[in-house]
Amino acid sequence: MLLDKLFSKGRKEQVVIERITEHIRLLEVACEEMRIGMEGGDLRRIHHVLRLEREADAIRRQIIAAVYEGAFLPYLRPNLCRFAENVDRVFDAIEETAYCYLEMKLPSSIRDHCLRIAFYNVRISEMLLISFLAMLRGDRLREKTLAVRIYEKKIDDLKLEIRRKLRSLPVEGFWEGKALSDFVTGLTSISDIVEDASDDLHIMHVSMR
Amino acid sequence: MWKLLSGLFFGWSLGANDSANIFGTGVATGTVRYRTAIGLTAAFVVVGAMAEGPKCMTTLDALSRISSMGAFFCALAAGLTIATLTVLAIPASASQAVVGAIVGVGLLSGTADLSPLYKVVACWVFTPVAGAVFSYLLYRIIERVLNRTVRSITRRNFLYFVGILTAGSYGSYSLGANNVANVTGVYVSAALLTPTAASWIGGMSIALGVLTYSRKVMTTVGKGIVPLDPFSAFIVVFAEAATLHVFTQVGVPVSSSQAVVGAVVGVGLVGDLRTVHLSTLGRIGLGWVMTPVAAGALAAGLCHAYTLYGRIQTP
Repeated sequence: MLLDKLFSKGRKEQVVIERITEHIRLLEVACEEMRIGMEGGDLRRIHHVLRLEREADAIRRQIIAAVYEGAFLPYLRPNLCRFAENVDRVFDAIEETAYCYLEMKLPSSIRDHCLRIAFYNVRISEMLLISFLAMLRGDRLREKTLAVRIYEKKIDDLKLEIRRKLRSLPVEGFWEGKALSDFVTGLTSISDIVEDASDDLHIMHVSMR
Repeated sequence: MWKLLSGLFFGWSLGANDSANIFGTGVATGTVRYRTAIGLTAAFVVVGAMAEGPKCMTTLDALSRISSMGAFFCALAAGLTIATLTVLAIPASASQAVVGAIVGVGLLSGTADLSPLYKVVACWVFTPVAGAVFSYLLYRIIERVLNRTVRSITRRNFLYFVGILTAGSYGSYSLGANNVANVTGVYVSAALLTPTAASWIGGMSIALGVLTYSRKVMTTVGKGIVPLDPFSAFIVVFAEAATLHVFTQVGVPVSSSQAVVGAVVGVGLVGDLRTVHLSTLGRIGLGWVMTPVAAGALAAGLCHAYTLYGRIQTP
């Protein structure tokens, strides 16, 4: 066990890193598919998001299993697992948003705002990958964390505007209104969870310095 | 040879207790498996005892002339004192107990030479100080080097793992080299054993204590220091090992527990953190006085009682 760990030169750790990178790349793809699907009204793209969420779930399980099989020092393991869980929570939020989108018609008065949020979601997930790779190299994370916060703030501002518009929007029934409300909540919560994941990266970076 | 039994018991309890100072953090945090930790500790304790153990025996030899029965009572009194003070939660040092016992027996027989005692007491006082200074300097230097050379998180992860194993092995070596004199040094003074035989027997008895009864203390001590990050844990063990090794070259057996406390304080100073409470330092101070006095009084009392018993038996 000891010799295996000494001479493997971090093989287990490499597996975890590869899986996490794959997890975040998949998040980028899911955000992009969501954006394209919303932009062109392409429901096949939205269905693809649902499939990507299931794929991400499997990757999350692989990460957690590899970590508990002994990858990385025990000191780092809880933070790694929390990071993977947070990325998975982002997938859950995207899935929920995609389901809501399938059940409703996006009102034209908030369409542009929602598309801008979807675009920022792609950017923020790209920034998460950049931050993760920078953390692996031991580079500074301050600017990357700041970029994530700026995107999150922009999305928060758009959320306020959407809410204001939603109040004056007529709805046909309870379920239509609920689907629309859940869609907006889901779409705007993605950046909040990405910000949490970005904070996890920062903690890992500091703890291994 | 039955007179060696008290020394063997003393070595066994020292191994069971002091191994926690070396791999305690590693085992409690799960970085190193308990079996790996005790295997490495036992092996390196014996190597350290054989390689440098006799260096500290000469200092103990100079404190007083001891008979074979005196040696038996010294080791017994030191062992009992350590056990009692441990129950009372006062950090007791094996070195202080043995020196106290030798001086106690020496004063009773009129052969005590107190002139080397200044050097010994100075080393006791400087043990936590040296631990703090070493850990502070090592932290600063190694941190700077690592920040320039090893930045990748996976490489650091591997480096910290290897570092904890290496520092632990070095700590075990230093423990064997420094503390074997406490266990069997009195038998060399009493001409019951040669320094080589004393190092071998003492090292083996410490290793036996590590292998058979160290789990509980290792887990308890380790959990008390768990808030340390892997780098600080590595520095603390490395500083403790260096402190013990330096005092081995000086020829004075010192306390590994007090070296660890000093090293934790040193790491705390780097981050301006309060890692050790004043009450802990107060308890160490109490141990400095209580341990040698109690061991000395007990050893002298046992010797006196034995002499009286001998007189009653042979009128």
